[in-house]
Amino acid sequence: MQAGESTGSELLDQYQRQMLEIRGAFEAGTSGSITIAARSAVLDELAGVLWQRAVDRDPRLAEGIALLAIGGYGRKELFPHSDVDLLFLLDAKIQEKDVKESIRRIGQEMWDCGIRVSQATRKLAECERFSEDNAEFTLSLMDHRLLTGDAGLYARLVDGTIPKLLQRDQKAVISRLLELTNERHAKYGGTLFHLEPNIKDCPGGLRDVHVCGWLAKLESAGGGTPLSIEDSEFQQAIEFLRLVRCFLHYRHDRDDNTLDWQAQDAAADVAIGLKGRDTQKLDAAYWMRFYFRHARSIERALKRIVEDLPQPKSARRLLLKRERGIEPQAGFRIDRGRIVLDPAASAYSPGARDSAQDPEIVLEVFAAIALTGCSLGREAEDRISQALPLLSANLEEGPALWRRLQAVLMGQQAGDALRAMHALGVLELLIPEFHGIDALVIRDAYHRYTVDEHTFVLIDTLHGLEGAQGGSKAEWATRFGTLLRELPHAPALYLMALLHDTGKGRSTGDHAQESAKMAHSLLARLELDPYESELVSALITHHLEMSSTLRRDIFDAETVRAFAGKVQTPEMLRMLTLFTYADINAVHPDALTPWKAENLWRLYMATANYLDRSVDDERIGAKEARELVDRVSALVPAQRAAVADFVEGLPERYVLTRSPEQIRTHFSMAERLQDDRVQLDFRYEPSVSELTVVTPDRALLFANMTGALAAWGMNIVTADAFSNRNGIVVDSFRFTDSFRTLEMNASEHGRFVKSVYDVMTGAVEVEKLLSGRRRGRRKVPKVIVEARVEFDDVASSHSTLVEVIAQDIPGLLRALSLTIAAHGHNIEVALIDTEGETAIDVFYLTHAGSKLEKKQQKALRAALLEAMEENAR
Amino acid sequence: MQKIEAVIQPSKLDQVKDALVEIGVDGMTILEARGHGRQKGHTEVYRGREYSVDLLPKVKLEVVVTDEMLDRAVNAIIAAARTGTIGDGKIFISKIDEAIRIRNDQRGEIAL
Repeated sequence: MQAGESTGSELLDQYQRQMLEIRGAFEAGTSGSITIAARSAVLDELAGVLWQRAVDRDPRLAEGIALLAIGGYGRKELFPHSDVDLLFLLDAKIQEKDVKESIRRIGQEMWDCGIRVSQATRKLAECERFSEDNAEFTLSLMDHRLLTGDAGLYARLVDGTIPKLLQRDQKAVISRLLELTNERHAKYGGTLFHLEPNIKDCPGGLRDVHVCGWLAKLESAGGGTPLSIEDSEFQQAIEFLRLVRCFLHYRHDRDDNTLDWQAQDAAADVAIGLKGRDTQKLDAAYWMRFYFRHARSIERALKRIVEDLPQPKSARRLLLKRERGIEPQAGFRIDRGRIVLDPAASAYSPGARDSAQDPEIVLEVFAAIALTGCSLGREAEDRISQALPLLSANLEEGPALWRRLQAVLMGQQAGDALRAMHALGVLELLIPEFHGIDALVIRDAYHRYTVDEHTFVLIDTLHGLEGAQGGSKAEWATRFGTLLRELPHAPALYLMALLHDTGKGRSTGDHAQESAKMAHSLLARLELDPYESELVSALITHHLEMSSTLRRDIFDAETVRAFAGKVQTPEMLRMLTLFTYADINAVHPDALTPWKAENLWRLYMATANYLDRSVDDERIGAKEARELVDRVSALVPAQRAAVADFVEGLPERYVLTRSPEQIRTHFSMAERLQDDRVQLDFRYEPSVSELTVVTPDRALLFANMTGALAAWGMNIVTADAFSNRNGIVVDSFRFTDSFRTLEMNASEHGRFVKSVYDVMTGAVEVEKLLSGRRRGRRKVPKVIVEARVEFDDVASSHSTLVEVIAQDIPGLLRALSLTIAAHGHNIEVALIDTEGETAIDVFYLTHAGSKLEKKQQKALRAALLEAMEENAR
Repeated sequence: MQKIEAVIQPSKLDQVKDALVEIGVDGMTILEARGHGRQKGHTEVYRGREYSVDLLPKVKLEVVVTDEMLDRAVNAIIAAARTGTIGDGKIFISKIDEAIRIRNDQRGEIAL
C-alpha cells in the first residue's frame, strides 16, 4: 500500500497543477474550445499512466481490454467540472473476476484526484445491443475514442460492432433520441427564453448541439445523405456557449450550468464572448441578448436537422390532415407541414415578383402558419431573412396591413406564427416597437420567461380558451372561454395583447403608459377605426388594473365601484378579464391557481353586475341580506329570533359571501360559546381550506391565528373578520397547504384543529410552535424587495386600507398582525398574496369602528417598517 | 462529551463493535440504514444506467464518549472498518450538551 499512496498524492498534485494552469489560461482569454480540449488531454495522460501501472502490476491486462473515452470526453470536450466518461471494453474471453480489482482501482485513484469518473464495463458483444431504457449509453458510445489498451479490440468495435448496431437499430435510436429531446425541452416549456437559462439542457443549449452531432452521425451511418451542420452561425454559437459554460463551471466550482442573474452580471462585467467590442459597462440584459441570439441559432440548426430526417409514415399522415385547411395560395404551398415558397423570379419572367420580397405573400405565409401550425421550410426562412430590406421597402401600411396582421393574430396557432416572425425579424419590421423587448430579461423572481416570450404565451393562452377544455383547469377555462366567444372585437384583444408590454423596454417607471404611447403610432399606421383604436389604447393603458384590484377586497362595494369606473363598459370589462386571465397564466405555469381564477371570475361577475344594474346597490344588498336570514331561519325554524339577533350587526359582506348553511353553522357555534369560548369550524379542500373561529374574544386573535397556521406550514390567502352587535367575532381564514401536510395525512386534520384550538385558548404558546419551524440560515433572496407601506383612505367606505409590500420571509405576517394589534386597530379584511419573493399584504383596518386618522396612520407606518426590519434580522 | 456517528459497511459491524468494547466503550446504538457517497453507490464494476443513484445498505453506529476517549474510539472504528475501497463510510463528531440515565436521573459523564 505504501508505494501506491505516495504516487497517489504525486498524481493528485500534478493533476491539480495542470488544472490551475488551464484555468489561468482561460481567465487570460483562451477560448472555451481550447480549454476543454486541454483538460481532455490532461485526462488522456493520466489515464495512460494509471493504465500502464495496472498492466505493470498484472500483465494479463495487456491483451483483451481497451480503455475508451466516451461521451463528452470521447469528443475531447471536458469542461472544468464535467464528469469523465470511461468505458472498459472487454474481449469475450476475459473473465470479469480477473480484471475487477484493477478496474476498480483505476476508478478509485481518479476519484482521489477529485475527478468525477463515470466508468462502465462492457463486453464487446454487449455494445451491439441497443436498449430503450439505456439509450444514453448507446449515444455516449457513438462518441468513442481509444485511450489505451488493445487496439485490435477497439478496431473490432469500430469496424464491426457499431456499424452493425446502427444498421439494425438506427431508426429506433433516432426515435428514442428525439423522444428524450422532446421530454427535456418540455421541462423548459419548450422555449429557450428563460430568465435564468440552463445553458446545457435548455432548448438552444449545449445538449441540443450534441443532439445535432448524434443525428448527423446516425443519419450518415444508416446510409442516408450526410447532414451538414457547417453553418458558420452555428459554429459561432457553439464557441460562445462553450466559453460561457467554462465560465460558469469556474464560477460555481462545480458542474452547474445555470446562467443565474448574478452570473449574468458577472459575465456582462467581463464581456464574455464579446471580444473586440467596445466593452464599456455592459448591461446584463444587453449581454443576454447575445446569449439568446446564439441559442436561437442552435435551435434553428436542430430544427433543420430534424426536418431533414426522413419522416415516418404516421407523422406524414398527421401533417397532411392539417394542410387540408388551406386553399391553394399564390406564392407558396405547404408540403408535408413545411412552407415552400414559389421559385424565385427568373430572368424569363421579369414581371413576376419574388414571393419572399412581397409583403402580402409573406404575411399570407404567416397567416397560414397561424391557421395550421405548419412551419417554415429552410429555404423559405433563408429567402425571407435575406429579403427583409426589400420587404421593408415594399411594405404598405394601412387597413390592408391590419387585415393581414389580424389573420395572423386570429389563427389558432398565432403564437407559433408570431414566434417565427420574431425569429426572422419580420415582426420588428411591422412593429419596430418590439425591438425594445426582444429577448428582454427582467429581474423578477415571479416571471419565468423573457418579455417577448411572455407575450406569445399570453396569446397562446387566449387561443387555448377557444376549444373544448380538458384537464385540471377545465372548469375555469370553460367559463372564461364563453367570454371569449362573446367578444365583438376579438382582434382588438389580440392586438392589445401583442403590444401591452412593449413599454418594458424603456426603463422609466410605468410601462403601461409607455406601451400605450408606443401603441399610438402603430394604431395610426394600421388605420384602425376610431372605436377599436380607442379600445386597444385604453386596454393597454389599464392592463394592470384588474390584477391590482384583485389585491383588494372584491366584496367591498367601493372596490367594485372604483374598478367599474376604470373599465366603464361591459365590453372592456370582458376583454380585460380575459387579458388578465391569460397574463397571469403566462407569467409562470403555476401562477394561475384555482384560487386566483375563482377570484378573477368573482370580480368579473361583481363588476358586470354593477355595470348592468340601474338600482341603488344598498337596498339590493339589504334585500339579499333579509332573504338570506329567511333561508337560514328556515334551517332552524324554532330559533328565528336568535338567528336574526346573530346576523344583526354583521356587515353586508359577511352575508354576501356566506351560504345559508355556513351561516347556520356559525350560528350554532355562537350558541355553544357558553360552554366553550373558542369554536372552530374547519373545512378542508385540496385547493383552499377554510378555518372559521367564532369567539367573543378579539385581542390578538389574528396574530395568534396567523402564527398557528404558519407553524403548520399553511399559507394564508385571505382572512376576514366580522363581529356582530353582541361583540361575537366570526373570523374566517382561507389558506393553502403548501407542504400538502393535510392532503397526505388525513389523520392529522384532527390534530391540526386541536393545535389551533390550543393556541386560541392560550393553552399553547404560539412562539413555541413557531420556534420549531424557524431553523437554519435563510437563503439569500434572489430579488431584494424594498419594504413599502401605503395607506388608502378612499378605497373603502368604512375602513382604511393599508398595503404592505415586502420581502416574503417567514414571520412577516405575524410581525405585521402583532404590530397592528399593538396599536389597537381592528383587522376587518386581510388579503395575502405572494408573487415570487414579494409579499403583498393588504389590510382593511378600523379603529374603534371608524377609519384611521392621519396621526395613527403615520405611527402605524413607522411601527410596521420597524417590525419588518426586526423580523428580517 | 462527544457523539460519534459512523456510517459503515454492514459486513464490518461485528469487528467494529468488538473493537469498541475492547477499548472500554460500553454503550452504543446501531441503526440499519441505506445511503451513498459521492460515487452515488456505483461501486460495482458493471453498471446499468448512468443517471441512477443507488442506495446501498449501510449500518449507522452511534456512541457518546468522554472527551478523553474520543481519539481512541475514533481510531478503533477506523482500524476495524477500513478496507481501503470506496464504500468504507464516514465518521461525524459532534458535541453533546447533556446525557441522562433515565432509571436514576444521573447526569453528565457519569451517565455514559
